[in-house]
Amino acid sequence: MSVTRRRVLLLGLGLTATALASGGALLGLRGSAPRVAGLRILGDAEYRTLAAVARAHLPPGGAITPGADELDLARAFDGYLADEPPDVQREAKQALALFEFGPLLFDRRLATFSNLSRAEQLEEWESWLSSDSLIRRQIAGSLKRFLSLVYYDHRAVWPAIGYPGPSFSTRSHR
Amino acid sequence: MSGELVDLSRRTEPRRVDAEICVIGSGCGGATAARVLAEAGHEVVVLEEGGDYTGPELTQRDGAMYDQLYMDRGGRMTDNRAVSILQGRVLGGGGVINACDVVPIPDGVLEFWRRRHGLTEFTEAALSPHRAAALEDLSASRILDSQLNRANQLLRSGAEALGLRGENMMHNRVGCIGLGTCLIGCPANAKRNPRFVSIPRALEVGVRFFTRARAVRIDDGTRELKRVRARTLDPRGYHEQRDFEVRAKIVILAANAIGSAALLLRSGLGNSRVGRDVSLQPQIPVTGLFDERVDAFRGIPQAYAVTHHERIDAERGLSGFRIEAIMGTPGIVSTLFPFTGAEGKTLMTTYAHVAAALCLVPDEATGTVEVSNAGRPVVRYQQSAEHKQRMREAVRVAARIYLAAGATRVLVPASRPIELRSEADLDRVDALTLEPATAPLLSAHQQGGVRFAASASRGAADPDGCVYGTRGVYVFDSSGFPSTSSTHTMTPIITVSRYLSAKLSASLG
Repeated sequence: MSVTRRRVLLLGLGLTATALASGGALLGLRGSAPRVAGLRILGDAEYRTLAAVARAHLPPGGAITPGADELDLARAFDGYLADEPPDVQREAKQALALFEFGPLLFDRRLATFSNLSRAEQLEEWESWLSSDSLIRRQIAGSLKRFLSLVYYDHRAVWPAIGYPGPSFSTRSHR
Repeated sequence: MSGELVDLSRRTEPRRVDAEICVIGSGCGGATAARVLAEAGHEVVVLEEGGDYTGPELTQRDGAMYDQLYMDRGGRMTDNRAVSILQGRVLGGGGVINACDVVPIPDGVLEFWRRRHGLTEFTEAALSPHRAAALEDLSASRILDSQLNRANQLLRSGAEALGLRGENMMHNRVGCIGLGTCLIGCPANAKRNPRFVSIPRALEVGVRFFTRARAVRIDDGTRELKRVRARTLDPRGYHEQRDFEVRAKIVILAANAIGSAALLLRSGLGNSRVGRDVSLQPQIPVTGLFDERVDAFRGIPQAYAVTHHERIDAERGLSGFRIEAIMGTPGIVSTLFPFTGAEGKTLMTTYAHVAAALCLVPDEATGTVEVSNAGRPVVRYQQSAEHKQRMREAVRVAARIYLAAGATRVLVPASRPIELRSEADLDRVDALTLEPATAPLLSAHQQGGVRFAASASRGAADPDGCVYGTRGVYVFDSSGFPSTSSTHTMTPIITVSRYLSAKLSASLG
């Protein structure tokens, strides 16, 4: 029997719900943090999960500044989702929930993604990208595509990669 | 008599129009059909889901342009997320966002269609005047050596060093100034695509174009007068606004190889072959990193093709593979790069030193289109073992070409990235499993879904393009192609649309 993406997603969410029901203390794993103002679709926790993913994929410093946080890629995703149909919004939120509880569900870690250290988050993120599990690759691949496209479309990034930017101007084409 | 171009996102009227012929889709198939039929004196209305973008509105920015010019905002994929499906959603369709490659249907493919699929009327003699007209529409010409940018020169020099056959490609640019952003539209309007050829001509002869109009179903498809039900969209094309209806005796589907089948399925029209026989012709990128600055993002991105391994014969149609240079703006290129974290950022600093190629690997038409509960297309597709093996072989050849051209590293994007620094590393390509969502496969040339066939048991539309089980509902786009027609579908679609439109016009009198 083939296992579809949706079936696995539902399975993962079922496990998440079971884990939460078995111990309310697990909710504490997500910690508490200040409200995130101005979100349109994502909840605070979903925003923080995505921000942590973005930070793992595009960390601050190094060869290219800025990092994902400075460009607020998680908010860009929220804005993108706002113009998507309701079923796509719902699926994206489910995917982020699965990602947040991934360490618990897939790696037997008593922690959620947001509560891992930076190094552990990168390790977890890489494990999703190269996972043997189709659903994990699908979710990680989709997030990576979005984050990369938005990040490298940003003017602030171009000098470090040697891209001079769009070359057309109405003046040059007269 | 002159037509009109109406942006329905900014109008509350009209709510209904009547016409003799309603064409759904304004790309290579739809715009061509509208023009040919209107030139013959027929009254034609065209519905287009996308907006109209020309000149400086094409901003050369990844985010905004993939969002506005591509179907599903550039995010359309197969259900298993194995293949990214690139399709235009803009006035002029795929011609606005393609790489301008002009590759007509080879005679061997036509022979394959006649032998295997019974399309006995698809002869060289029948198609050749329409092919000639298509090439004229496109102002087709061979790319000059002087127009090869450094990335294309590297591909050619590597291929020549290995003794592999290749050629400068044909294209449909006139007045190209080498902006390099063909895949997100040409602000210099140098592409001789439907937006600048068939659509202006169609307007001259009275065609009415309605943009931001999403066709959702066709009612009364077996009666003389059909109703095409559409929803208008907001100015950015995100949200549906209100109902819009076209009543017409003839409906021509040209909504691309996924959209045409999906519309028939939503409408409950056609036979059990609708939505089957879909070819995606997946491609995989390979990148070479060079010590020198390549600046592949300027100039014509896709100008040279290594055709050495391409096979065309009457037994299998198009097979083998070809390798072509390609490049894009940073956003889209970054999505094709392997690695993440600090390592990924470091790799992107080599962007100006990268030459990239696409391995185009023709496939069997084994995919399907279904419709989700929300009414959207669901594309199911599995690569065969043979296709995977051929794709790995293409990757090996592309890697050898870049190494021969002097690349210091060759990268194959995969969930477990593959890197080669010499020919001794070629066996590493065997690790490319091509399991779903392990490599960023692309599809730019979808075909099938409403296959032309001599009988209803073998396909979904007859050799004239009329959908079996309907009365006057036709398909004039790549949906009808029984197998992959060419490595690049723009010219085949225009050719076949011209051919079928002429036949339809003659039958209507």
